[in-house]
Formats: sequence, C-alpha cells, structure tokens
Amino acid sequence: MDQHHHSPLFTVDGAKLSRLEDLRLITGKGRYASDWNDPQQLHACFLRADRAHANIVSINTDKALQHPGVKAIYTGADALAAGYLRSANFLTFAGKDGMKALVPDRPCLAIGKVRFVGDQVAMVVAQSHLAAQDACDLIEVVYEDLPAVIDPVAALQPGSVLIHDDIPGNSPFEAEAGNEAEVTQAIAKAAHVTKLSVDCTRVTASPMEPRAALIAYDKTTEQYTVHTPSQGVNMTRRQFAAYANNMSEDKIRVEVEDVGGGFGQRSSVYPEYVAMMIAAKALGHSIKWVSTRTESFLTDTHGRGNLITATLAMDENAQFTALRIDWITDMGAFLSPTGPVSHIRNPSTCLNGVYKIPALYGHFKVALTNTALVAAYRGAGRPDIAYAIERVVDTAALELNMNPADLRRRNYIPANEFPYKTATGSVYECADLPTLSAKALQLSDWSGFEARRLSSLAKGKLRGIGMSTVIEGTGAGMYPKDEIELSANAAGELTAHTVAHSQGQGHQTSFAMLISDAMQIPVEKIKIKQGDPARSPHIVGNHSGGSRSMVGAGTVCHLAALKLIEAAKSLAAEDLGVEPSQVSYSKGVFQAAGSRKKITLGELASKKTVSVKAEGAFSKQTFPNGSHITEVEVDPETGVSEIVSYLTVDDCGHVVSHTIVEGQVHGAVVQGLGQVFGEHIVYDKQTGQMITASFSDYVMPKAGDLKSIQVEECPTMSKLGPLGIKGVGEAGCTASLGALVNAVVNALHPYGIKHIDMPLTPAKVWATIEQAKSQR
Amino acid sequence: MAKVELTINGKNHCFEVEDRTLLVNLIRDHAQLTGTHVGCDTSQCGACTVHMNGEAIKSCTVFALQANGAQITTIEGLAKNGKLHPVQQAFTQCHALQCGFCTPGMIMSVAGLLKNNPKPTDEQIYHGLEGNLCRCTGYVNIVKAVKKSAELLATQKQSR
Repeated sequence: MDQHHHSPLFTVDGAKLSRLEDLRLITGKGRYASDWNDPQQLHACFLRADRAHANIVSINTDKALQHPGVKAIYTGADALAAGYLRSANFLTFAGKDGMKALVPDRPCLAIGKVRFVGDQVAMVVAQSHLAAQDACDLIEVVYEDLPAVIDPVAALQPGSVLIHDDIPGNSPFEAEAGNEAEVTQAIAKAAHVTKLSVDCTRVTASPMEPRAALIAYDKTTEQYTVHTPSQGVNMTRRQFAAYANNMSEDKIRVEVEDVGGGFGQRSSVYPEYVAMMIAAKALGHSIKWVSTRTESFLTDTHGRGNLITATLAMDENAQFTALRIDWITDMGAFLSPTGPVSHIRNPSTCLNGVYKIPALYGHFKVALTNTALVAAYRGAGRPDIAYAIERVVDTAALELNMNPADLRRRNYIPANEFPYKTATGSVYECADLPTLSAKALQLSDWSGFEARRLSSLAKGKLRGIGMSTVIEGTGAGMYPKDEIELSANAAGELTAHTVAHSQGQGHQTSFAMLISDAMQIPVEKIKIKQGDPARSPHIVGNHSGGSRSMVGAGTVCHLAALKLIEAAKSLAAEDLGVEPSQVSYSKGVFQAAGSRKKITLGELASKKTVSVKAEGAFSKQTFPNGSHITEVEVDPETGVSEIVSYLTVDDCGHVVSHTIVEGQVHGAVVQGLGQVFGEHIVYDKQTGQMITASFSDYVMPKAGDLKSIQVEECPTMSKLGPLGIKGVGEAGCTASLGALVNAVVNALHPYGIKHIDMPLTPAKVWATIEQAKSQR
Repeated sequence: MAKVELTINGKNHCFEVEDRTLLVNLIRDHAQLTGTHVGCDTSQCGACTVHMNGEAIKSCTVFALQANGAQITTIEGLAKNGKLHPVQQAFTQCHALQCGFCTPGMIMSVAGLLKNNPKPTDEQIYHGLEGNLCRCTGYVNIVKAVKKSAELLATQKQSR
C-alpha cells in the first residue's frame, strides 16, 4: 500500500523527475553552505570550552599567533569591543503575573566564563583550515572550575549553583495558560484522576549538512554578505543585525541556495557567525568556517528536553473534565532565539489536544542548565504536548479498563463544534476527528488486534498496538504577511521569488505546481527562486518553519498567479487595442473577445514588464490533525522492539503534491521513531561532558527501522486561505511519539508495566521487563 | 607535502597536498567537485561515498595519498553522455531525496551495492545502506529506489 498517491513525474532535459529540484541534487550540482568559496578566503576554527562551567582566568594566544599561516585570533575582548553580546529573542508574550523574560547576554565569544562544553572561547583565523585547527591547540586557557548543574530539576532547586549571576534560581521565565482554580476544583470533584509524568527527552535535529558559513565584508557599501544554512533569509538577516549590536538590516546580505535539512535547528543565527563578521571586517577577507559533526552535537541547538506532568480528571462516564499540565523546559545555558516561544506558546495553543476539556491549566517553568541551548525542533513543543496527552489518555484507559479507542471516541471534540475555542483561548479552525479516527481504526483493523496478538505470542513475541490522535497549530509567523514576486519573461516562463526557504520540502516543485494550475502553464516553465539577496530584502515573508510555508507562501503563489493574469490582461488590452474586460486568458495566451487578435504571455513580456507582487496575511492559525496507529512486536528475551505496521491518517487540508506530503510524513514519523527508540542527548551528570557527541554514540534511525508505512488522507478544508491548505511538515513527529510508546507499553501490559520513558532501547525494555517480573 | 596523481571522472589531475589531506578534501577543495559531501567526522554518514577503482568507498576514510594512481568516480561523473544513471533515475522517481545532502553518497553507495549484488533482498538492502544516513526521507522511499534501480539496471543489461 506504500505510496499509492504518487503525483505525476515532470520532464526536464529528457529526465523524468518527481521534483524540479531533483535534477541538480542527484547530479552533484546542489550548492550548500560549505560549497561557497572565495579565492581569497581565510579559514576560521573555534577553540571551545572543554568543561561545563568555569571562570576564564586567562587566555594566552602568543604561541598560537606564531603558528605558520595564522592571521589573527579573537576572544571575548573582541566581542565586547564590537558589542556583539546579545542574540535575538522572539519571546514576545508576558509570563506569569506579567513577568518579562530575563534574557541572559550571550557574547559571540565567551567573556569571563564558560557555561557549557562547546561554548566558544576563541576564534583562530588562518590561511588554511588545518593551520587554524592546529593553532587552536596552541592557545593556553587557564580556567577556575565551578560546579556544573546539568539536570533542570536540580537547577531549579534553591541553593543551586547560578549559571548567570543576574538570573535568580536559574529560571529566566515562568508562564501560565488557562485557569488554575477551575482545574483544581474539577480535579477535586472528579470520579477518576490519572496522573503521569513523562520525559520528552533532549534530542538533536542532526540535519545531514553540518553548519557552515562564508562571510565577506565590503568596505565601500559597509555590507556583509553571508552564505549559511537558513530556513528563511529575512529571519536570518534580522537575527544577524540584532546580534551584531542592532546594526541596520540592510547591512546584511544573505545569499543561500540549497539547505541540507533544517528542522528548526537552522532557524537560529549562531554566535560563530557574528564572530566571523568581526574578522571579515578587520582582515578584509572572506572568512569560511565549516562545523565538524562533533561541534554540531555540542553547539547546534537541541530539541525537546521537557519534563511534563499531566493530570487528567474525568467524570463517572469517563468524560474528561479537566487537564493540568506542569512543564519544566530545559533551555540549556542561554535562551535560544526560538526555544522559549516554541516550548511555551505552541503547547499552550493545543493544551487539550484533540479532546473537549472544559477546564485547562498549564504551568511552564524555564530552567537554565550547563548544557547546549535548546530551540525549535520539528514540531517545536507540539510533539511534546501531544505525547504527554496521548500517553496520559492511554494510561487512563488502562486504569479504567477501557479500550483506548473508546475512551478517545467519547472525548473527541465533535465535528460540529468547530471552530472550537479551547479553555486556553485558542481557536481550532476545523477538523473532523471522529471521522478521521474511525478511518484509522478501520484501516488498521483495530478490532482484529487480539488475533494478531495471539499469533505473535505463539512466536514468543509480545505484540502491542498504539494510537495517537493529535492536532497542532500552524500558519501564523513572525512577519505580518507573506509576499511573492512573480514575473514573466519573453520565453513565456515565470519566475517567482520567495523568502520561505526550502530545506528539503520541495518548494521549487509544490509552489510551481500552484502557479502552473492557476496559469495553465506547464510546471517545467516555472522557476521558484529563494534566497536571492537582490530580491529578498524587498519581499516580506516568513521563514519555513512551523509547517507554515504551503499555508502562507504557497497560497500566495496561487494569488500571485491570479494577480499576474489580471495585470497582464490590462497590458494585453493596450496591445490589442481593446478594453481589459474584452481580454480573456487561457494557457499563456491573451485573446480579444470576438476577434482573432491575440498575444502570448511571452510576446507581452518581451514588450512590457509583466510582474506583480502579491501578498496574503495569515495571522490566524489553521490546525492540521491526524491519527496514527502502529503495532510493534517486542522480544522479551532481548528487549528489541520491531515495528510491524504503521498507519497514518492525516488531515492537512488540500494537498498540492501527494508525493511530497507522503515524503514529509515518512521523514517525520521516522524522526519520531528515532527519539522513541534510540536518539538521546546525554550529558554526564557530574562533569557536564556530552557522552553522545558523534553518530557512533547518538543512535540515528537507519534503513529498515521502518520497513513500510501506509499514508492516508482525510482532509477538511481550511478557510484561512482560498486553497484549503493546512500544512504537514511536523504532523508525523507530533503523532508518532505517542503512537509508538503507547504500542510498546501496550505490549508490556501483561507484566503490569504502565510507562517507560524514551528512549525505549533494548537494554531499557529488557531491564524493565526483568524488574517487573521480579516484583510479581 | 605530497604529490598525488589520479583520475577523477575520466580526467587526469596532479595535486600537491598536505600529507594528512583526506581524499574527500582533495575532491572538494582541490578538484573543486563539491557534489561529494562531508556529513560527519567518524565515517558513519556516508555522504562522502565515491567509487575508487570501481568500488564504493567513503572518501573520508582514505588519505589523498592512498588514492595515488587511482580511478575515482564522483557523483558528477555518474551520468554518461547527458543520460542519468539508473540509480539517479530511480532516486528521483521514487522521491528518495528531500534536502539532497546525503543523496550523492547514497547514490554512489547504491550503485556499488548493486554492482556486487544485482538482486538484493530487503535485508541485504538494509545492510547495504547501513553506512549511509539520511535525515529527511525515513528511508522507505530510498529502499524503494534501490529496488527500482535494480529493475532499471536489469532492463538496461538485457537491452544491450
């Protein structure tokens, strides 16, 4: 049943392609950040803290400076002199009792203190990468060690060592959602209360392209030109300018072509880049830096890292009456630009999941620890809240001895109650959860599970089934609108400029399909351009993140095509000597009514400028939703879990390319699977050394981990835009954590096991089984 | 410094490199063929896979000097006379790539796998892909592309 929704192939230069971007990517012609070079470039290498928490007593660079090829070495003193001390932060809302976040300074090179292993202490610039690397080893740093705090709960304890002197209790922010008194009352009156604490573990996005940058300074224009992985050049430019002592955004030119995966981790501007700006200006050369994978593990922002306690109250009919969420979010040593927003606003928006729950309360406490920063990672708080809710619902079903599907069915928000206003104040736009869930139950043969369980048992395997039904907000962004600039040329081809940067999502195909549909012109004649520094500063729009690009920029591609047709009709009318109302358009040809006079789009564009800028504002959110059902077999002798089936039924509204949507679901489900079964960023609790800082220690999913997947759709159309699109990039991650853990825990019910925290490694599952056996 | 003479995609090259230069750095920095990628420092990800004397190897595990006299094929040299290699065709047609960063290494790896085993079983495919990481696709479509590649290669052989 795999991939029965494949969209037709496109033909470019005789090659049959799924996507227009594929031809360059399969022939080695993609251009990623580390592929940019300048013949005069110098190379940067960073000396990083080898300890988690210490005062810097002294830095001696004398020997390093004498190393052949070394041009300069920069330290915290240079960061201070430049004033590059504070990264951008997108936290805009007030916290508990109106509190404002205490955002710690983060100099682009550490000043006086290091706060996590990997913190950047000095930057060597040399003629070759190898010379810079060698010289780093010659820098002598004297440290005065301080105790490190790695665990977020310990960091919040009174008396914990302080990571920043100006942030009391290591907690820069605390926030609430909903009504605590109502929830407390409902819990007191409840017929049954289920409480479950889950660790939504710290993981890392690990896009296959490591971080890199090439940064040049132009003395004449006083502009910096930057090539670096980006999810949207506007957002990147804004963060560069903010970090570089609030310089004007027009001093930053960002030029980006291909991006080798992002997943939220490429939405931040990192301190290394602004340190490189200092060198580029001082030395008059382009500066290049390419991160090693170990540096990626140590210093790229991590994801998740939330300790969540869910308390679910229900009445005697198992109707949910209240839900309380207590949430500790570990942000690492500093606040990343996107982390606090992701881990507070996004879960607050969907605090009740897919259920009708009259009373809701969420309490969010941010903790700082001596670890790398945490930020948005595919779903950005949405998978975390969905995971907590779907686990507590399954636990409630177990306690009530109910079928988890029945308990859910009883509590889904009915279709006729949309738009549904939640008790935290968000408005779920549209969904039909009962129909969607029924489709998933039927396709997965949920009711036939017992027979399959018994047949697995006969082979010595414990079979479990798990479901997860989720909803998540998408669409709204930092910028008030999304714009697309669309122009035609003399060959009748169209070029659209966007600032929503694809990191693998295939915008060059899906955006082109939308323009192609509206203009009845073959997709192959449409080019989508992103990250062009000549155009992008004139285009307002959001980065690609939060599953929003098809909702925003995609929809505006459609609007731009319609606008271009109307604008071109007026131009054609002048040429044809008729009124614009007399001109009709079809398949790239403008025709005057009642005559044979016509002009093609290309002919028109050869005579006049045929170009429009269209916009759309998507300040409200739309809500993709879905239900995933999976079955696993656990071998009790080894603790190994094998996924035997995986079904997704998603409502992402109108689908433009089924091929791309399926690909997004596959990838996101497997990222969830990675977190469930192996991925985990682990620090030594005493020393703060990361013990998972390479692909040999951090368990990435591999081919065969998910052997097959059935991807189905059950759309309801969004009214946010004219096409009904909802977005899909994160849906797979949001649902898969709960579905897979529910399935494994379901398999272990015979041992009385009610919960295991991720990652469900064979060793952990086996040990949990053995412990349960010994307690019987 | 060491002198390395080798053939890349049918073209002869001679470079002076530091002794510790890896083959992947020679390919990217000296020959300026940036289709071969570096995704890790522990030889796990496979993004740097090329063919050396006809065998798929990870070019980060070989010193440039060890490739002296070798015939190297990189992703840029896989298509012949403007026609995509069957593995390239299969990867796009099965939507087996998203961001494309791992793709050159994947394609070179799969071409090597199928040369040695033209009809692999599912288990042999999983095993054959163990040294290549992809973060975008979830691998389901990559496995499909390996099977499609095998079909296309078999057809190509028959029609010769």
